[in-house]
Amino acid sequence: MKRRTFLARTGIGAAGVTALAGCSGGSSESLNGTLTVATYSSFTGEGTAGNWLKSAFESEHPDSTVEFRTPESGINQFIQRKAEGAPIDADVFVGLNTGELVRADEELDDALFAAATDSVDGADSVKPSLNFDPDGRVIPYDTGYISLVYDEGAVDEPATFDTLLEPGYEDALITQNAQQSDPGRAFLLWTIAAKGADGYLDYWQGLLDNGVRILSDWQPAYQAYTNEEAPMVVSYSTDQVYYHGEDVDMSRHQVGFLNDQGYANPEGMAQFADADNPELAREFMSFVLSEEAQSEIAVRNVQFPAVEGVEPGGDFGEYALEPPEPVTFSYDELAGNVEGWIDEWARQIASN
Amino acid sequence: MRFRDGRALSVGVVAAIATLVVIFYYPVGSVLASAVSVGGRLTLSPVVSVLADPFYTGAAHTLVTAPTTVPRGVVTWLRAGMPPVRLGLFGFTAYQAFLSTVASVVVGLPGAYLLARFEFPGRRFVRSVTMLPFVLPSIMVAVGFLAMFGRTGLFNDALALAGLGPVEVTFTLELVVLAHAFYNAPLVTRLVTAAWESVDSRRVETARTLGASPRRAFVDVTVPQLLPALLTASVLTFVFTFMSFPIVLALGGLQLATVEVWVFASVQNLELTEAATLAAIETALSLGLLYVYLRYEAAQIRPRGDGGGPTRTPLFVGRRSVLSPRRLALFAYGLVALVLFVGPLASLLVESVTTPDGQFTLEYYGFLLSRQASAASGTVRPLPAIRNSLLFGAGALALALPTGVLVSVVATRDSRWSRVAEALLTAPLAVSGIVVGLGMLRSLVFGTSLFGQRIVLTGPLAVVAVHAVAAYPFVSRNVTPALGGIDDRLVDAARALGADRTRALVDVELPLVAPALVAGAAFAFAISIGEFDSTVLLAEGVDSATMPVALERYIANRSLGPNLGPATAMGTVLLAVTTVSFVLIDRVGGRWER
Repeated sequence: MKRRTFLARTGIGAAGVTALAGCSGGSSESLNGTLTVATYSSFTGEGTAGNWLKSAFESEHPDSTVEFRTPESGINQFIQRKAEGAPIDADVFVGLNTGELVRADEELDDALFAAATDSVDGADSVKPSLNFDPDGRVIPYDTGYISLVYDEGAVDEPATFDTLLEPGYEDALITQNAQQSDPGRAFLLWTIAAKGADGYLDYWQGLLDNGVRILSDWQPAYQAYTNEEAPMVVSYSTDQVYYHGEDVDMSRHQVGFLNDQGYANPEGMAQFADADNPELAREFMSFVLSEEAQSEIAVRNVQFPAVEGVEPGGDFGEYALEPPEPVTFSYDELAGNVEGWIDEWARQIASN
Repeated sequence: MRFRDGRALSVGVVAAIATLVVIFYYPVGSVLASAVSVGGRLTLSPVVSVLADPFYTGAAHTLVTAPTTVPRGVVTWLRAGMPPVRLGLFGFTAYQAFLSTVASVVVGLPGAYLLARFEFPGRRFVRSVTMLPFVLPSIMVAVGFLAMFGRTGLFNDALALAGLGPVEVTFTLELVVLAHAFYNAPLVTRLVTAAWESVDSRRVETARTLGASPRRAFVDVTVPQLLPALLTASVLTFVFTFMSFPIVLALGGLQLATVEVWVFASVQNLELTEAATLAAIETALSLGLLYVYLRYEAAQIRPRGDGGGPTRTPLFVGRRSVLSPRRLALFAYGLVALVLFVGPLASLLVESVTTPDGQFTLEYYGFLLSRQASAASGTVRPLPAIRNSLLFGAGALALALPTGVLVSVVATRDSRWSRVAEALLTAPLAVSGIVVGLGMLRSLVFGTSLFGQRIVLTGPLAVVAVHAVAAYPFVSRNVTPALGGIDDRLVDAARALGADRTRALVDVELPLVAPALVAGAAFAFAISIGEFDSTVLLAEGVDSATMPVALERYIANRSLGPNLGPATAMGTVLLAVTTVSFVLIDRVGGRWER
């Protein structure tokens, strides 16, 4: 293992020298080269935020090209590459959340990401509540809020977590597997925030006794909700942005903020420490934080902007709901805890 | 002559094993090794700690933690009237796999009877498309099942019309078992039909002329020839459903978690030692089962002559025949098959042309067209995906057919070495897709440094090779029983007349096992078309995406709101393309049949 790391480092060292040589002409020249952006697959393709960013960034920097890489295993791919001493082959990662950053840091001794907040223009305009990396490597670019979506014709608005344990809500809730699904994990963390690390397992036993179902991911869960298998599903507070229109029955798309809260799940971007093109990477991240890009990302990714004062108008402005009180666990609260919480939770569910 | 033929065969086997080492054993081994080594030292502690954990092994954990108390514990349990014991993750997984196997056999066997013994319009078509469930991504099957059997599904609507129901089966073990039957009953049907069509009808006739009743001739002559195929199908179904996870999670949820669900979750959280340990135990169990089965199969194979398959009787002969008990039972079976197989597929079609509110729409097919026209980076376009699927499928078929036949030739030889070689060569069936994917990622996709050069194996050739490796065991599982059943004297006669071993194989043996060969080809093609995990890992970018990859990408698409419309449209295209392919495989392969 040591030997492989050494080999890889020498390789990276050589690449670093080349990159430096490329830059020696001075930074005043326009940026050029290929920027490789690693992200999740639904961020790219026709009509997506990623595609808009690519065209807009390339027209602003005509000598540069943006290429996407969308590995199926997401950030795990790069954590493992780093651990195995394989080349990273990407400059920026887009779409990282707090739990994933915790995992990357716990798995790796060497830095996967470079510090960025001081060197990226506009990083200080991000809402302070969304900044989740204490080391200033990851910059949030948007956020979603996990909430319940319910059918008001079938159930009353669920006001608190304890309401969900009442007989009126028997067999009423579908959520997702926190081991592998972002909203599922966020909902579990939200219950831990509400019930405490000592009380959440008891609370979940109550949910189980009341017939909660835990499906693999958001899509099957929402599909089951659409098929009227249950009148409530864990989803995003932007649900109505998708579902509005003249012949849509909005009573099936009510957003419920338990305890008047919603769990914030900010998405961040970071420059790889091994980036071939760090300067272009920082320029790109700065571009993502521009007002225009923030609005476009919000609308196309159906998430809230991360930069203060950006208000996407249109349907998004009208139908996206923000919880009165956003809650979220900080990096330090998750570090060393999150895996144990999830593991104990999953064991309790699967033993039923 | 014999020496040279033997060597040619050996060379083939060595080449097959060498390929397997590079794209299967090395990647998988590198994952499983972490189960028995901690910090570079060999140890059994991860395995022991899993076996000693009641969460994993239930009541059986005392076998490890306190073996001396086991006999007393068993006696106490017997005296208490054998109350239910805690199964643990492994126990529950085996239990659901057992139920799924029983269900698959119950659903699949009458299908084989119908297809092998009766002639009716569309029989060949039905036989061709029995492979369709195999190619369907689990997410689509889950959607189809919910649309069919859900609270507001078609099935309950039909029951309501008859004044019955509603039945609530969603999120139950029953629905998971039913979905597993949807996937695996066709396997039973295919394998048994192929065996049935190869039954030597002369021996049945001989038994009849010697005074055996039809029932007696069936039990004494036909059944022994079907048994190996039926057991193959059962063992495979058990192994597959033991390693099931997407269907379990999509239709049952975490409450019905299997071992594989845990392996998957551990991989996602990069708890690789735990994942590897679970996978190693799981693999050992499936490999053990396969080995025991292969030994049984070798003992079962008995020679038969070239008497031709049984003749099929028409299903419809006048009005009165329809009312015979046997045909009534078959019609009832047809109804069940219609609900179980056609129902979810039809629901999928319906979903692709209706909005979430139930309005008719062609928007989702319009979406496919717009993707095709798009030049945006990262867009998976439908036509290249169809072309890639077909190309990879043809490539996998071209590799898997000869390899599978080669393995069958090895398998039908009578030596201990053959049995071991066969078990090694069949191993891809017994290893979970998650483990293969992970191993592939760490070895081939990341690449290995050799003499300062990074060697990375990706791209279409790697995809084809991996598909072929996953597919060829199906070819040999189909062909081995049939090949073993051929009377040695026929081959000897050909050899005596001057044919070498290869010529005898091609000219004499293969035509005799044509139905099994065609069935194997259909499997190989289906495996390739339906494969998802290693395809996304090995395919370079969106240009080498296949139909299932395209489908998965369209699921995550947000442009039409969060619904499965675009994915169901792509699923419908996948269904259409593969239906045509299977019918073609059967037609082309059918030229070999008598």
